[in-house]
Amino acid sequence: MATRLKHRTVVFVGGGLTAALAARQLTTKGVDVVVLERGIDRTHTAATSLPSQRDELRWDVHGDLFQDWSVQTYTLRHNDGETALPIRRLQAFTPGEGMGGAANHWNGQTWRWSESDPVLRTHLENRYGKKAIPAEMAIQDWGITYAEMESYHDQFEKLFGIAGKAGNLRGKVQEGGNPFEAPRQNEFPQKPLPITEAGVIFSEATKKLGYKPFPMPAANSPEAYTNPDGMQLGQCQFCGHCERFVCEANAKASPEVLLYPMLRMRKSFELRLEAHVLDILHDRTAKRVRGVRYIDRVTGEEYEQPADVVVLSSFTMSNTKFLLMAGIGTPYNPKTGHGVVGKNFCHQTMSGTRVFFKDRWINPFLASGASQTVIDEFNGDNFDHSGLGFFGGGYIYANVTNGRPITSRAVPPGTPKWGSTWKKANADWYAHNFTISAHGSWYPHRENYVDLDPTYVDAYGQPLLRMTFDIRENERKMSVYLSKKIDEIAKATGADIAPPTAPRKGPYDSRVYQTTHVTGGTIMGSDPGTSVVSPHLQHWDAENLFVVGASVYPFNAGYNPTGPLGALALRLGDDLNDYVARPRHL
Amino acid sequence: MTNDQSDKTFHPSRRGFLGVAAATGAASLAPSALIGTAATTAALAEASEPPSFHAVDASASTIAAKLPSPVPGYLSFGPDEAGFVEVMVNVMCPADALTPGGVDCGLAAYIDRQLAGGFGKGARLYMRGPWREGKPELGYQLPLTPEQFFKAGLAAADAACRKRNGMAFSELDESGADRFLHEIADGKVTDERVQLASWFNELVYPLFEQACFADPIYGGNVGKVFWKAIGYPGLPAVHSRDMIDFRGKQFPGAADPKSIADFA
Repeated sequence: MATRLKHRTVVFVGGGLTAALAARQLTTKGVDVVVLERGIDRTHTAATSLPSQRDELRWDVHGDLFQDWSVQTYTLRHNDGETALPIRRLQAFTPGEGMGGAANHWNGQTWRWSESDPVLRTHLENRYGKKAIPAEMAIQDWGITYAEMESYHDQFEKLFGIAGKAGNLRGKVQEGGNPFEAPRQNEFPQKPLPITEAGVIFSEATKKLGYKPFPMPAANSPEAYTNPDGMQLGQCQFCGHCERFVCEANAKASPEVLLYPMLRMRKSFELRLEAHVLDILHDRTAKRVRGVRYIDRVTGEEYEQPADVVVLSSFTMSNTKFLLMAGIGTPYNPKTGHGVVGKNFCHQTMSGTRVFFKDRWINPFLASGASQTVIDEFNGDNFDHSGLGFFGGGYIYANVTNGRPITSRAVPPGTPKWGSTWKKANADWYAHNFTISAHGSWYPHRENYVDLDPTYVDAYGQPLLRMTFDIRENERKMSVYLSKKIDEIAKATGADIAPPTAPRKGPYDSRVYQTTHVTGGTIMGSDPGTSVVSPHLQHWDAENLFVVGASVYPFNAGYNPTGPLGALALRLGDDLNDYVARPRHL
Repeated sequence: MTNDQSDKTFHPSRRGFLGVAAATGAASLAPSALIGTAATTAALAEASEPPSFHAVDASASTIAAKLPSPVPGYLSFGPDEAGFVEVMVNVMCPADALTPGGVDCGLAAYIDRQLAGGFGKGARLYMRGPWREGKPELGYQLPLTPEQFFKAGLAAADAACRKRNGMAFSELDESGADRFLHEIADGKVTDERVQLASWFNELVYPLFEQACFADPIYGGNVGKVFWKAIGYPGLPAVHSRDMIDFRGKQFPGAADPKSIADFA
């Protein structure tokens, strides 16, 4: 029997980036907040201390910061006709665990999406006609516009000290920035990171082809930085241990550095660690939630935490799973197209090649998570899709984030897999190559969705989330297109060896890392018939339940998801202040 | 990446940076006794030293003589398993100008320690049934821990070797052992119960690569010999200035990498 705890105002399920940003807005106004996080605070642990922080095997290969698959994983099948099996060691994406969540081990690539993205369906219909969008492509508008989010983007960038160069200041295109950028009111709070050698080569090549390269907007702080809250970032050390690691120099903007230490000083804030939430307590007749049930992992005791408002702020997968388990909202049915929970599940369409230069020192270990050089000509709808047979796109970039020798080392194709020739090839090429990649969108397909697995359970006896998921024709065609563009750029670099890029193909592979950007499942929109939450992220079927995270994205763009996530979470915080003062459908 | 045995490796002229300071190569491969902040200072001081990796004239025996010995003894392997693995790592990493043989590099010790530790026992691995065979894209689906799978595969490979070659794997000569490993990797050696290609490519080979390139604290990469061979500078990786000063240039710190133990 669970012990019932004292009633609280707002309870967050999951202590990552979005909970911290929304809680910042709430606790500024003194609203009572408790955040339940299943993991620990790693601030003063091996993960954040030299020399152990630089352990590639432990943090990267073995993934010690990630969700523990022995406790909870997901099942996968490629279509409805197959039996899903559990992914016993997932490598395709890396959900986090612990205070700060996956935003502690991110690379720091911080984009605003295109101005057209929140109104994607409308935009594409206007440009290409209603009939141009295939029936199985379930893209939809978000129900808010970029203009409504702009000030929140600005606030998030200042809080996280984002380093970059504006490409579009109040409608005026800026030299050196992204000419396709959505208009911004202000320049980035910090100047861009210095360019890498790979970036220099990529810039020369792309300029030769008539493109406009620019620095990736980065959450790796080029200098010591103090944000508007008085919280500080150190200077990035270009140590090459960014994604999959916590930054020991406090130089990567993350909730563990900038948000939770501040929140924990606030009187109306409480963070409860090692609190694994099991259920949302749902009152179906009242169309409300009552709170949550969780287990204290240290004592094994179960608790009920009643609250006025529940916010699901966990990873994409868990947000969806909580709703399916509680039976809040209609589960998506791919056969009829009815139902909403679990639909529009998307990932990222990545492809790339390695370029090898015998006489240039790339020094891949002199890099940080977002010290990259990019072109945006082939992202989103920045180019004419007429007659191409697909929608979407991606940015193309000199993708060097590290030179970690187990996982990032590469030898030219045709090299034997072992022996003296293999060793020599490693010695010859380690410091002399880099990847040119496309970071591509993934638009929803009617047959891609998540639901509860009928067979497999987690360590708490609860069903695993099941992915019915594959890379479909739209993304395959897009990947072929982007891969050709990569090859043109690779050729223009003058590389000694530039193998052709292999476009992404099916079947979807759980063994290959893509990005951690899985999206959808609890999507937002202005129509309760096609979305789980409203444009204010309020659940249509339970007024005091809110959902935040990439699970609300109706599709995945070719940009990294964190920028709009920060903006949406800050906006949610303001909306929650409004709601707590006067509860209603916002 | 292919398992192609034929050597189609690109051998471009390396005059640009290969032969530099070969004379100092062997000396620079000596293990560092420096610890703590002294190591950092030394690394910085050595930034002005001539670069010394790609030490083409350093003989294998010279390198081996200067390296610390790998940790002795095995936690997981029995004698036959040890024999198999030792031959395997010596074939996959033969003694040459870049490194000593695999056993002397600690590769067998690394694999043994990994199998005896959390990884081998299935840490972070979802181990609930029902167990079914699945498409490769769904990943590992056996009810064996990685340690158990390693040993089941090893036994099956050895049995297949006896059948094919009339002797145990550990009795093969170097070229015979190399050929047999390639045959396994290419799916040409089969066993009724163990998928040997997947055993080798998805479990054995990643362990081999980790043994070469993980921090020496795990037992492989003895004396940081692989880091030196490729020019990975290791720790502390405090590069905010280096990233500007050595953009597009050979990085001197790569000649004398530091590892976790150097800062312990």
